Amino acid sequence: MLKNAFLMLLSLAIAIGGGGASVWYALKIQDGVGAIRIGQWTAFPDIGTPAADPYSKARVAREGVLALGRAEGLSFVAENDAAGDQLKRECSYRIEGGFPTARFWTLYAADQSLGVVETGKPRLAALQSYQLLRQADNSVTISVGHHPMPGNWLLTDGSGRMYFVLTFYDTPIASSTGLSDVSLPRIVKAGCDA
Amino acid sequence: MRNVLATLRRLFHAVLLGLVGAGIVHIVVLLLVPEFSERDAWSRLSMASDLYRMNRLDAEAGGAPVVKSVDPLFYATACRFDLEEGMVRIKAPGNVPFWSVSVYDRNGHNIYSFNDHTATGGKLDAVVLTPAQMIDVRKDLPEDLQGAIFVEAPIDEGIFVIRSFVPDDSWKPIVSRFLDQSSCELQDF
Repeated sequence: MLKNAFLMLLSLAIAIGGGGASVWYALKIQDGVGAIRIGQWTAFPDIGTPAADPYSKARVAREGVLALGRAEGLSFVAENDAAGDQLKRECSYRIEGGFPTARFWTLYAADQSLGVVETGKPRLAALQSYQLLRQADNSVTISVGHHPMPGNWLLTDGSGRMYFVLTFYDTPIASSTGLSDVSLPRIVKAGCDA
Repeated sequence: MRNVLATLRRLFHAVLLGLVGAGIVHIVVLLLVPEFSERDAWSRLSMASDLYRMNRLDAEAGGAPVVKSVDPLFYATACRFDLEEGMVRIKAPGNVPFWSVSVYDRNGHNIYSFNDHTATGGKLDAVVLTPAQMIDVRKDLPEDLQGAIFVEAPIDEGIFVIRSFVPDDSWKPIVSRFLDQSSCELQDF
């Protein structure tokens, strides 16, 4: 009798504990259902729309996000560099390559919650496409790091994990058909502060 | 020996049952999260301000942002509305480099969006209304609604968000004024 009760409790504990924990975990990880990966960049074109999958819907409700609409823009998030290592705030990176068609785009360095990195200076850890220097072939090279660098410089500060958020505004790639042949810039690690 | 095997089998049964249960709980919890969340955009906004009140979403206006905003190079403002009380009109004066607008339903799903290229002369003047209200308005379009963008939304409660691009520091006061002077009003008809 006691054994039966114990087994029943065990089943219930696994069901409720496991079920709850797995939902919590699935909502916590950045990656997920409905993601589109281009190089190191990940986008969720369906997030925040009624057509989104249940995981995206739950994430929207839990984090209170108001996702960009199709006519507004599309955000990509990168958490790794081209070598597959996690992005670190104490390291410097080079973001180089061509960008897809858009009226303009913005790039910022973000912390775990995807808020902009605090630099402690008037200069934001953010850049936008109107203020950039371009190469002759219209490609862009952006240096990311704590120390000032010539050309395009994205200031970061602190230590720990970092994400890059690249958002294209008023862009044809936000319609899903455009996403197949989009190429995004590469993120190359240039070095780290010891 | 036999006794131990039987116990093990029952233990295995219990674990298996637990795992199947975990799957069911997973699905149920996942589908219930949007229903019961008190941290969704609507709930956060309703704690900050009333219906038909524009409420800045960026940290610039002082205090922590109500809804986790967006791009650091953007300012945003939002108002909640209820179409059961009537159609709602959103206006913002002035010219800024880029603005875009989204209409969200009660659950924070984006149901309609457009940007300044859609609007006549780049002026933000929009009316959100239900299909039934649209039929009424079509019969006799008031003079001052001629240039407005009509957004037909099959919802009652919703959120309207205006986002505006701040290319550099010199644009901050202009974009701030654009958003602060925006209005979100119940439109009589």
